[in-house]
Amino acid sequence: MNNRYTEKILEAKDVVVKFNLRGRTLTAIRGISLDLYKGESLAIVGESGSGKSVFTKTFMGLLDANGRVDSGSILYKGNDLAKYTTEKEWLTIRGKEIAMVFQDPMTSLNPLKTVGKQIRETVELHQGLKGAEAKAKTIEILNDVGITMPEIRYKQYPHEFSGGMRQRAVIAIAVACNPNILICDEPTTALDVTIQAQILKLLHKLQEKYSLTIIYITHDLGVVANVADRIAVMYAGDIIEVGLCEEVFYNAKHPYTWALLSSLPQLGVKGEPLYSIKGTPPNLFHEIHGDAFAPRNPYALEVDFEVRPPYFEVSPTHKAKTWLLDPRAPKVEPPKLIVRMLEKWKEAPEHV
Amino acid sequence: MLKYVVKRILQSMATLVVVATVVFLLLRLMPEEGYFAEGYDKMDEAQIEAALTEMGLRDPLPVQLGNFFNGILHGDLGKSIIFRPKVPITKIIGPKIPYSLYFGLASIAISLGVGIPLGMVMARFKGKFLDNLGSAYVVLIKAVPAAVYFLFLQLYVSDALKIPMLFNEKKPVSWILPAVCMSLSSIATYAMWIRRYMVDELNKDYIKLARAKGLKNSLVMSRHVIRNAFVPMAQQLPSNILMTISGSIYVESLFSIPGMGGLLVSAIQRQDNTLVQALVLIYSCIGILGLFLGDLLMALCDPRIKLGKKGSGR
Repeated sequence: MNNRYTEKILEAKDVVVKFNLRGRTLTAIRGISLDLYKGESLAIVGESGSGKSVFTKTFMGLLDANGRVDSGSILYKGNDLAKYTTEKEWLTIRGKEIAMVFQDPMTSLNPLKTVGKQIRETVELHQGLKGAEAKAKTIEILNDVGITMPEIRYKQYPHEFSGGMRQRAVIAIAVACNPNILICDEPTTALDVTIQAQILKLLHKLQEKYSLTIIYITHDLGVVANVADRIAVMYAGDIIEVGLCEEVFYNAKHPYTWALLSSLPQLGVKGEPLYSIKGTPPNLFHEIHGDAFAPRNPYALEVDFEVRPPYFEVSPTHKAKTWLLDPRAPKVEPPKLIVRMLEKWKEAPEHV
Repeated sequence: MLKYVVKRILQSMATLVVVATVVFLLLRLMPEEGYFAEGYDKMDEAQIEAALTEMGLRDPLPVQLGNFFNGILHGDLGKSIIFRPKVPITKIIGPKIPYSLYFGLASIAISLGVGIPLGMVMARFKGKFLDNLGSAYVVLIKAVPAAVYFLFLQLYVSDALKIPMLFNEKKPVSWILPAVCMSLSSIATYAMWIRRYMVDELNKDYIKLARAKGLKNSLVMSRHVIRNAFVPMAQQLPSNILMTISGSIYVESLFSIPGMGGLLVSAIQRQDNTLVQALVLIYSCIGILGLFLGDLLMALCDPRIKLGKKGSGR
């Protein structure tokens, strides 16, 4: 990280999120601590069900009705969001401070309202504009998100927009809130590859113009490499490694991060099956002892099954939760596949 | 829009012609007895033939069909034969329409006025006590045969509230029970629809987005949920309303209301061929009109329904 990211904008400490499901309790987030710095782009990566979305939803009070923040704190501008319960409290945060872009642009817009109206609704709500001013602002935002002929598009319905255009409209709604933090929950998953790149470029542009702090939630490491300053890797409701983009890509320390990198299809060798992580993630209904990844981890030590590893600092910006970093642990080299990949990348980094 | 309306009207008229033809042809299969008010048993073959020829029933089928349509176009539905011999059918039906219409309108007002708010409350408190209470009402009304609770209302409630058991034109209070009876089932229907469609809407992604952008819950409901939930109802609503105002067979006979509902039953029982023919035609018209209005209303509510164009939208 360059020195420009030093001011903490949001601090999550030991956040635990639990869900009640048919009389049983599921622990979806098992004590995450994470700092978010003003102006940065943080990518949270992890497989489905690792809790990426749930974790960020706690910042906006958007957990489903059966979920709750069980303990921990989320500090934002001196307030602890984990203590918020009423709609009135959350309305001071939602949109105004933190906005969200959802995964599927095909279903994120109300099909019965014109796109202009939906953006304008937000402009009126958060920027206090009315009438012609609100309309002008809406058209300006449409223009900002790269929608051509905004005056015409303003009057159109979502079904008259293509997928990429709709995602731009959804981003326009988020931007219209004038937030400090923008959470993009898999913003490009539902789009095809060429559009993905455009949307990421757009988000980057908007980040500068509106001085946004962006959290990308994704399972696509390709997306991450393009946009993120920092990466947090999640597994079974915990962040097991966090560091600058280069640190996590080129100097990963946690075996799960290695496994994740090894599964990149770009690494496949012709004629050989792609690497895949053996086994399945742990059942979150049960209490997890030790390192959650241990049962699937070929490098697992005995202690991994017994005691949950703390964060070991690799650099001031890079830390990982694995006993392999303990001075007493045997020296383990990352898998050959990754080493080979890193060499390849160093020659031609744009292939990520 | 205009193109769509014209297209839809033409379609409806074509349907109507087909329906009228089918009704006409089916009734040609009925026993000929139905064309004679009395004395059929005493007539000999020649007399019957003469009478049928005189009524034009021995003409070739296409000619008969032509006459039938000609009559319809001139507002002539023929004359009743058995029910009230030689009286034009329009004169029989005419006086009955107001009763069915007034009761129907009252019932619609009650069932929309109660059913829709009930459904909204159920959706708002989904899974809670009020929702369960509403569901209990819906299940009770839909599962128990109407005859049971109609009779209960007629016998006990009228007694308890000291209101007349039967309809009496001169006593306004006697209007209450039949109107309520007609509404009970449609209240349940509307509540069930609205609840279901609203719950569907509440789970949509754009509702989550509306919340995430900081819209108050009450505004999310009024601006996004309710209108969207109304769209799937829009198509069914007009036919439902038209069917209600065209008379309820059971309620009308139970409270002896001289409406249209009972007429079809009597006409069929007494084999009055021309009257049956006319009534079936009227009910089909109402049904087709209902479908037409439903489509139109839905097209007005939902911009995704492309009017007159093919292959765009989803």
